[in-house]
Amino acid sequence: MIEFAVDTTPEGIGVVTPKGRLNMSSARGLKEILDGLVSDGTSKIVVDLAETTFLDSSGLGALIAGLKAARQSGGDLRVARPTEAVLTVFKLTNLDRVLRPRDSVEGAFDA
Amino acid sequence: MPETTVPGPDAGDENRVELSAPATPEMMHLVHAVLEQLWSQHEDVSMVDRMRFEMAVIEILGNIVEHAYAMESGGTERRFDVRLTATDAALVASFGDDGMPNTIDLSDVAMPDEEAESGRGLALAMAAVDDLTYDRSAGRNHWRLTCLRQPG
Repeated sequence: MIEFAVDTTPEGIGVVTPKGRLNMSSARGLKEILDGLVSDGTSKIVVDLAETTFLDSSGLGALIAGLKAARQSGGDLRVARPTEAVLTVFKLTNLDRVLRPRDSVEGAFDA
Repeated sequence: MPETTVPGPDAGDENRVELSAPATPEMMHLVHAVLEQLWSQHEDVSMVDRMRFEMAVIEILGNIVEHAYAMESGGTERRFDVRLTATDAALVASFGDDGMPNTIDLSDVAMPDEEAESGRGLALAMAAVDDLTYDRSAGRNHWRLTCLRQPG
């Protein structure tokens, strides 16, 4: 089971917070949200992973798809505050470079 | 709703939990629930072992579900069953399903490049556990994954 919280900061950055497990049955929901943000003109996106208790390859695929869509629109997708389970998946798949975890949502676009 | 069986802790061997269910994405949460049941019976299993085992189990289930759908033209429901076992030495998952045969050679599985949006499942499962085997017999796929327990 999963819920998504979606917000936009005053600076126009989209913040998506998946709460629960990102797996094959929930990854499509994330992809649709990320696609929706980018097509509505929000191309700077932070995915806050502090409440994501599980991530599988489908969830990773949705993050990579969102990253590519955001960059094609001149923005970027950054991930913040991953749980240990999520960080382990980033490392095992060698994606911790392209999805470099940021310490905070607020500072995710600072550098 | 097809029959889904989740034996309770009093179903016999407390080292083992079993599940039989339709091979659909919606069943993912049931497998997560069955794993939680296993951990509640084996609180001594370390977080690292729980994490890598769950990761591999879910990736293999994802593979089974994909192949089940690939064969669904006749409208026949595809099912899988899984048995999860915890001992002092290892965590073992044995899957059986009647989906399409898997043609992937596990010795060729590699992590795709960073830009890829799919194709990481089996590579991730193999990276997470100590042993992963696949065979096809009597019209069924059989996956077995083994995670040797590390001192907590």
